[in-house]
Amino acid sequence: MTTLLMDLRRNRLMLSYLIVAVLILLILVAGGALSDRFLTWRNVTNVLQQLIVLGLVSLGQTFVVLMGGIDLAIGSLVGAITVFLANFLDWRPDLIWLAVPLALLAATSIGAVNGILTVVLRVHPLIVTLGMSSVIFGATLMYRKEPGGSIPRALEDIAYRNVAGIPVSAVVLVVVFAIAALWLQRTRAGRNIYFVGGDPEAARLNGFPVGRITIMAYALSGLCAGIAAIFLTARTGVGDPRIGVALTLQSITPVVVGGTILAGGRGGVLGTFLGVLLITMLNSLLNFVGVSSYYQWIIQGVIIIVAVGFHTVRRK
Amino acid sequence: MAPLEATLPKSRTSFSMAALFERFGLAIFLGVLLVAAALLSPTFLRPANLINVLTIAAPLGMVVIGQAFVIMVRGLDLSVASLMATVAVLATAFKATSNEAIPAIFLAAIVFSALVGVVNGWLVAKRNVSPFLATLAMMIILQGVRFAYTGGAPISTLPPGMSFLASGRIWGIPVNLVTLAVLAIVLTVVLHRSRFGREIFMVGSNPKAAFLNGIAPDRVTIACYVICSVCAGIGGLFLLGYVGTVSNWVGQGYELDSIVAAVMGGVALSGGRGSILGALLGVAVLVVINNLVLLLGFPIEMQLIIKGIIIIGAAAFYRTRLV
Repeated sequence: MTTLLMDLRRNRLMLSYLIVAVLILLILVAGGALSDRFLTWRNVTNVLQQLIVLGLVSLGQTFVVLMGGIDLAIGSLVGAITVFLANFLDWRPDLIWLAVPLALLAATSIGAVNGILTVVLRVHPLIVTLGMSSVIFGATLMYRKEPGGSIPRALEDIAYRNVAGIPVSAVVLVVVFAIAALWLQRTRAGRNIYFVGGDPEAARLNGFPVGRITIMAYALSGLCAGIAAIFLTARTGVGDPRIGVALTLQSITPVVVGGTILAGGRGGVLGTFLGVLLITMLNSLLNFVGVSSYYQWIIQGVIIIVAVGFHTVRRK
Repeated sequence: MAPLEATLPKSRTSFSMAALFERFGLAIFLGVLLVAAALLSPTFLRPANLINVLTIAAPLGMVVIGQAFVIMVRGLDLSVASLMATVAVLATAFKATSNEAIPAIFLAAIVFSALVGVVNGWLVAKRNVSPFLATLAMMIILQGVRFAYTGGAPISTLPPGMSFLASGRIWGIPVNLVTLAVLAIVLTVVLHRSRFGREIFMVGSNPKAAFLNGIAPDRVTIACYVICSVCAGIGGLFLLGYVGTVSNWVGQGYELDSIVAAVMGGVALSGGRGSILGALLGVAVLVVINNLVLLLGFPIEMQLIIKGIIIIGAAAFYRTRLV
């Protein structure tokens, strides 16, 4: 019985993976037909370079959503870390080895605080992370209102460097996603996330350390946001408190499009990866065709509704 | 402190201190806050400042009333702020310079808002989309539609009478407060004295039981989303009257503020519990705190920090849980 259910679950997920993959192919074909520059190596590397930030925040969101939560503090956190990095470094390459670990530590700790608050206060994660987002954003703005600071060349390099024509950031992203996929499927800690997301009460009754798993998921989301912030700072060269504002919601779209259920317990990081690829390529295509970002918003909203509507229909 | 009291088992028949505090805690807190504000800042009690506070509170109050309806049926509407701005843009689409267009503007705003509410409600009730995602998508779509129309530029072609919504008086009472009061009273009567109101509470506390009792939960839910959107649309027009110019972000932050105020006012995110008076008390507390931050000369960003702490604290106090 259980294996049968597992198979069904697998298949349903496979189906959404397949649909997203087909959509990606369609975009490639449409892009090739509509513009002769879309399928050039230059544009491909450009798209690959853009993947990293959205990819990482969406990966973090995936951990939390799989565990049955949601993280609405991601954007504020990314903004806060970029501000910290740019102002702390201020052109000095010798500080990178201190700044990067500090940034990751801070991001992971703030993520863990989200988790601790949901566990200790037993308040819905929506409220906790919304409130935390407000707190982080306010604190960042009190420190620096305007974009500023600067980063040394060496750090800028990680965003733009290509090795054998392939952007380093894209390689990093693939490696991180591969590790995440293996971790979720092959380790006890990773599988625990699915158990808690599937049925927290059953997980508790079966002796799972639900609190610890919850905090771990949020801490991982924070860590991902921290890494994303490093790449984002490297890309833009400044620390901008508002740069992450849109990222929070953007991080949810690929997760949902990739077939991970918002209620938790079902889905996976491969879907998120495909979702990130789809969204980034779609935006790139729309830019190529000259569709303004305003219409891109509308399309993003419709995608969310269609994707979620699709999954709920399948559930019935 | 608060969370400790909230952990005490609540019995339905006996009145404990905790129950009393939960019932009147916010009113007491507001009283303490007002006294503190008066003591800390001599400017606070000046009529000009109080009127300013109330003028800011009125549109938010309208939004919160609607938000409360949606939260009571276990929902959440993140699209209210985007709707407010879109309604404001819609008002300028008339390109009207005379006051004769105002009724048409109101009608168009209400019809448009109601349509948005129907779509939100339909997605949530009929398509089983989580309220968070449905209204989030609606928020982004409205934002896109609005910007596609304006091209991102602010517009200020408005009938001069629109500012009456913010500064006008009827028999000496600000017209926005009168409107808020009328809205609050009418919807309170609907909520507590009508069949529909009872259905809202039933659907909110147990949709299955409501269904078995012959109520159509879907219809009730959709109606609540429509009420919420219409309230937000009206609030958008009043806020527009206050701001005067349509930037594309009129009402930004109201989605969070309205949820904060409603939750603080005891509207349970788990549904089926809450009152409009409570939600409006939540607005009062929020607005007074925001005003106090400014009067005391703290940087305005501190409002964000305080707001964040308050929403988490209030939710912990009421120990609400979303489904």
